[in-house]
Amino acid sequence: MMRGGRSLVSSPPAFSNDAKKLLVCTSNTVSVFSTVTGLLITSLEGHTALVTSVIVVPPSNPAAKVLCYCWTASLDGTIRYWDFSLPELMKTIDIRMPIFSMVIPSFLDVPAEENGKHQDLFAYVSIEDAKETQERTKASRRQIRKCNLSKSRLVGRLILGETRKPEVLTVSPSGKFFGIRNKCKLHIWKVLDQGSERAAVRKITLHHTKKITVIAFHPTQRIIAAGDVTGRILTWRGFGNRAFAASNGVADQKLINVQEDKPGVRDNDDADSCSTWHWHSAEVNVLSFSSDGSYLYSGGKEGVLVVWQLDTGKKKFLPRIGSPLLYFIDSPDPTLSSISCADNQIHLLKMPSMGILKTISGIKAPCCYPDMYEGLGNGIAFDQTAGIVAVRTENYCIQFYSLFDDRGVSEVIVTSVALSIDGSLMSTSEVKLAEEGIGGLVCLKFWDAGSQNKEFSLSTIVYEPHRDAGISAVKFHPSGNMVVSSSFGGDFKVWKCNHDVIQNDQMRQNFSWTCHAVGSYKKKPMTAAAFSADGSVLAVAAETLITLWNPYKNVLLAVLGETLTPIVNLSFVGKSDNLVAASCGSNPQLSVWNMSKLSLSWSYKLHIEAVASAVDLSSFAALVLLPESSKKTTFKGMDGVILLFNATDPVPTVIWSVRKAKGGALCFVQVSPSSVEEISIDGKAPEVLLAYMNGDHEYVLFDPYCKDAREVSVSQKEGLAAHDHKGQAGQYGYASIYGELPEFDRKRPEAPWVPSFPSDRPWETIFSGSSHNLPPLTKLCSAFLESLLEKRTAAAE
Amino acid sequence: MGSLNIRDVLTAFSPSLDYFAISSGDGRIKIWDTLKGQIQTEFADIVSSEATNIYAKAERGHLSIDYKCMKWLSFDKKKKRKLGSSLLILGTGSGDVLALDVSAGQLKWKVSDCHPGGVSAIAFATNGSCIYSSGADGMICKIDSLTGNLLGKFRASTKSISCMAVSCDGKTLVRAAGQLKSFDCSNHKKIQKFTGHPGSVRCMIFTEDGKFILSSAAAERYIAVWRTDGGKKQSASCVLAMEHPAVFVDSKCVNGDIYVLAISETGVCYFWYGQDVEALCNAKPTKLSISLEDGLSKPHKGALPKIFAAKLQGVAKQASVHAFLAHGLLVKPLFQKMVVQYGADMLLSSSQDGVLLPRSQSLNKSKKGLDSQNRVIALDRANAEDAALPIPKIFYLHEEKEDRHRSLSVGTDDVMTDSIDHGSQPKFVDGKDASIKLDADSKALCMEDQLRSLGILDTCNSDSIVFDGINLEANLPPKKMRAAISSMEPGDAHKLLEDLVKLWQSRSCSGKYVLPWIYSLLLTHGHLMSQESITQMLNSLLKNTKSRGLALQPLLQLSGRLQLVTTQIDKAAQSRSQYSTSDHKMDESEDDDDDDDDDDDVDDVLYGEEDESQISSDDDN
Repeated sequence: MMRGGRSLVSSPPAFSNDAKKLLVCTSNTVSVFSTVTGLLITSLEGHTALVTSVIVVPPSNPAAKVLCYCWTASLDGTIRYWDFSLPELMKTIDIRMPIFSMVIPSFLDVPAEENGKHQDLFAYVSIEDAKETQERTKASRRQIRKCNLSKSRLVGRLILGETRKPEVLTVSPSGKFFGIRNKCKLHIWKVLDQGSERAAVRKITLHHTKKITVIAFHPTQRIIAAGDVTGRILTWRGFGNRAFAASNGVADQKLINVQEDKPGVRDNDDADSCSTWHWHSAEVNVLSFSSDGSYLYSGGKEGVLVVWQLDTGKKKFLPRIGSPLLYFIDSPDPTLSSISCADNQIHLLKMPSMGILKTISGIKAPCCYPDMYEGLGNGIAFDQTAGIVAVRTENYCIQFYSLFDDRGVSEVIVTSVALSIDGSLMSTSEVKLAEEGIGGLVCLKFWDAGSQNKEFSLSTIVYEPHRDAGISAVKFHPSGNMVVSSSFGGDFKVWKCNHDVIQNDQMRQNFSWTCHAVGSYKKKPMTAAAFSADGSVLAVAAETLITLWNPYKNVLLAVLGETLTPIVNLSFVGKSDNLVAASCGSNPQLSVWNMSKLSLSWSYKLHIEAVASAVDLSSFAALVLLPESSKKTTFKGMDGVILLFNATDPVPTVIWSVRKAKGGALCFVQVSPSSVEEISIDGKAPEVLLAYMNGDHEYVLFDPYCKDAREVSVSQKEGLAAHDHKGQAGQYGYASIYGELPEFDRKRPEAPWVPSFPSDRPWETIFSGSSHNLPPLTKLCSAFLESLLEKRTAAAE
Repeated sequence: MGSLNIRDVLTAFSPSLDYFAISSGDGRIKIWDTLKGQIQTEFADIVSSEATNIYAKAERGHLSIDYKCMKWLSFDKKKKRKLGSSLLILGTGSGDVLALDVSAGQLKWKVSDCHPGGVSAIAFATNGSCIYSSGADGMICKIDSLTGNLLGKFRASTKSISCMAVSCDGKTLVRAAGQLKSFDCSNHKKIQKFTGHPGSVRCMIFTEDGKFILSSAAAERYIAVWRTDGGKKQSASCVLAMEHPAVFVDSKCVNGDIYVLAISETGVCYFWYGQDVEALCNAKPTKLSISLEDGLSKPHKGALPKIFAAKLQGVAKQASVHAFLAHGLLVKPLFQKMVVQYGADMLLSSSQDGVLLPRSQSLNKSKKGLDSQNRVIALDRANAEDAALPIPKIFYLHEEKEDRHRSLSVGTDDVMTDSIDHGSQPKFVDGKDASIKLDADSKALCMEDQLRSLGILDTCNSDSIVFDGINLEANLPPKKMRAAISSMEPGDAHKLLEDLVKLWQSRSCSGKYVLPWIYSLLLTHGHLMSQESITQMLNSLLKNTKSRGLALQPLLQLSGRLQLVTTQIDKAAQSRSQYSTSDHKMDESEDDDDDDDDDDDVDDVLYGEEDESQISSDDDN
């Protein structure tokens, strides 16, 4: 099984003490990259949920610089301590509450352990307290707490603060202060020198009129900078002189004149002065002081890194980074720093000159499109033979990403995409959204790959291929020289590639595409299209009906109908004579049609996000979005399942449950010869791998037919004894008699996935069997409710 | 760079083939990303991470290092994909052996002065636990690959060793120094001696099954195949001839079939395939080369695009392999995965990317760029003008008029009965003669187009419903009609009558228009028409009109009912509006005639091709 496509920019990265390594939070792992080569060295694996913080232990003396220890915190509720040079897990602290952010301010105060006197190490964590939901309002569940790392526990009832949203903690480089932003306010805590466990921590609050997005502490002085949503940067000098000084007990006899002039400081905030800089036009995401404290780095949506000279306010810029900035991290090496960008890239900068030395890049993040233009699917296309996926990216590019190597291949600019089977041809459609009703334009473009399969060149562009109507689907013929595009305007067009070789001083192939045929069915919007594996049949969905055509002669062969809601996805199941149709809307449906009988063979009421069928297999996989109700109770954050069906059999052969299924995609990928050895299990190489890419473009490759649990992220359940299959009539024993119980049929097969389930599940067996010998409703109810209650307690623990 | 020959270039693919190391003699090692085709990193001065202070002093500069051999080693076969578990092993001319951790960019270990006089070869078995190095001093060293500790050393030759290889299982070692000698790795005992290579051997490998050794020496234009399972002394069992000396050789064995790939000094790739070694010897090589036509025709300061590295990945099917090639120019290699079929020579295209070209070339290039831009074809809104319109599926419409409704409904019944929920709402078929003349130019699936395309309506007939100056559709007043008809010659009138009857019977024209003409024709020219054919025709006309007259009453009833139902449907569902309602309005204007033209309108019901149901199939009989 192979995983990849992780986000590199979910949390700020951290440099190792010698600045040779960069620790990046990548989903459940921490990846260690070399800053010299930009290549992955190793990864720390052990967390079971997203890693949110990584903190490298700073050296206590110069000799300890080579030590490679770090703390990580994750949403799985654990804090772990690693030696990342080996890599090795040293210690795990389980605090059982998801940690959104962690800071450890007092490294410097902790004497080295060999000093004999053992000092406790404290961390401050931003957590969500899931337990106390009953007596507390939801608003106060996000807390800032103190954690004793040496004794592996949270410090008793000490709750420093409560916020509405999980906030990111920011610590000052000196380790004296840490703070959070909370809407228009800043909260700053002072860390007391000797970390005795109960010592109260003092807090001050600074106010602003706009929502604050990021804060940064000055390394040496009492200066704090904050950026807000409008692009202003505020700098408070001498914050907390009053409150923190008094707390130190150093009798500050000149208790500051209340009348003292405090320029820019709002209300009665505890600061000497506040100044504002305004260059950014949109919100500031990045704010960081240089290590000597004379410069301030800021960046935001514009993708420009600005360096401010703190005393004069003079600016220097690093423009054309190309994507919104997220984090700026200074390294112990003064000549090196890193910036993380929203397009999943981390640039390593050579510092005084701010040149980009190396770039670590991952798969591009999914982009959101305006709602008014829906229906293009998720814009993910797979090249089955080479294992390459093409994804749409934010800046109208297409990134080609190698699934096997977990690296990007190349980029082309456009929006929605289809790839031919051999990956040599590509078709894209793009939409220029109209501004005030003018200038809207739909384009269909055909591309062909260069000799290296790396660069695509445009061969044909079609303006307004279906008049004003948008394109609903673009699919390639298996032979690659034919494309069907269907539109909401009620017609579909078959495009044919004229492949001529031009002989001008060199051999150059020239592809030109022309419209081969036009078809429509009763002027209905065409919502999906698919070619059969041998290319002899073209299926086009006209809303709820499926029309079958001969693509060469453009003859309507048959009409299949009909589904309850418009079909959005069509797919032929390999070489078998089955056609899968998925429709969405209020009445979602997954239906399988038999082409030889021209009839519906079976269907489910499931919300299908994606369907994939292998070229030469009789099975297909469907990615199902689970309804809200079942998500909460049974799945622990899993919101989708992948079902593997044999086309003739309505009972799924295997089920995997997955996260973030919305916007996901599925594909069967042929195994490339170079990766055979490492995927092969006990010497047997799989023929085909199933690739699942979730809404965040993380993906996993696995062998769908392997029997031992090559699980996707949870265990799988095989051999469903109690079938939840609804059959042809869409009726299901219990539901047909007692009314609709939509969750149950789906909950049941997944029941064993919850590990703490009671061993006997009375209601699982109750529902099996024919409807006439069902137990009476009274008996059913009590058993069912009982089982529900049991589950609740089990889940809460 | 221009004068570089690929025999002086050291190349190595990473175990998973996603990186490619190349060292071209100036002491720098470039690591290329084979997927992106971009340079990933470059090593000039390699310093160790731990002992920075020691090596930092010895600022020797990269030009003083001359690498003699380079191999990319992976420890763990399972975790090939992880670059961290692999090392780039280098041997230098000064006798050092270095291991470079490519992902970390650090020197992992270094064995100084391992082979005085220079390291000549590095070899290791598949599991990669230890490395063997050989040098000009005739010694072979065994080095631990993780730590760089010297595990053992033995003298394998009195002369300088030019090449060395280790079998995949790590048990046998072969060295070349004047002649080939194989040793047992565990006890350093001599096993075999192969005579025949007088010169210095440049490349040598064991086949995967360890049964053969392939070797090639400088200035020899062949690859020698040696059998390892024979007697003590062996001569080459066969040779694979090439046009130029080989610099690289690779092989695969699958089910006893042997695949051999070699690269010659001139950058041409040779591929042999044989089911056994005898077949291999007789095999003619398949050549892969860079096509020169599309590049610059004259060599560019000696820098011709070449194939300079290759790796056999696996066997696609018998006699064809997946090969991974690095080719092009050394400054910008291109990487390509391809299937090489034995017997089919291949030409690879080359590109000039990344090369600084002199001015004339760049002009040429820009023109080329223009060309390729011109080649983009743009289609506008009218992109579908030449496209084929759909050929509808209509069943037996013209041959069997009587049966057509039945056959139609049978044809669709197949669909209907199987479809999921058609039962609730029966679909009605309605005539669409109101819309039939409207949108011939739109791409609608209108009936007329379909009929025309099927040849049911031949074009002259349907295009002009004008006979001899008579416009049928003009709806002339009866007087004018009579005048026009009375002015006709009897022959013409006869012909017109024939045509009109045919028109009416074939229902290609509305009875509303045809029947008045027939009526007035019969009225005016009736006395003349006494020929047999006419009477026959008139008989059939009579029969036809009578039968239609009989059907009139039930049809009117049906029409009323249909109207009722359609209005209900219209109200009920907007979607039903697709089907145009039936158009059974009676026109009383021309009712002054005999029995035959009352029923005319009923016959104009035409049918949508798909949505018939039982009701419609009844109405024609």
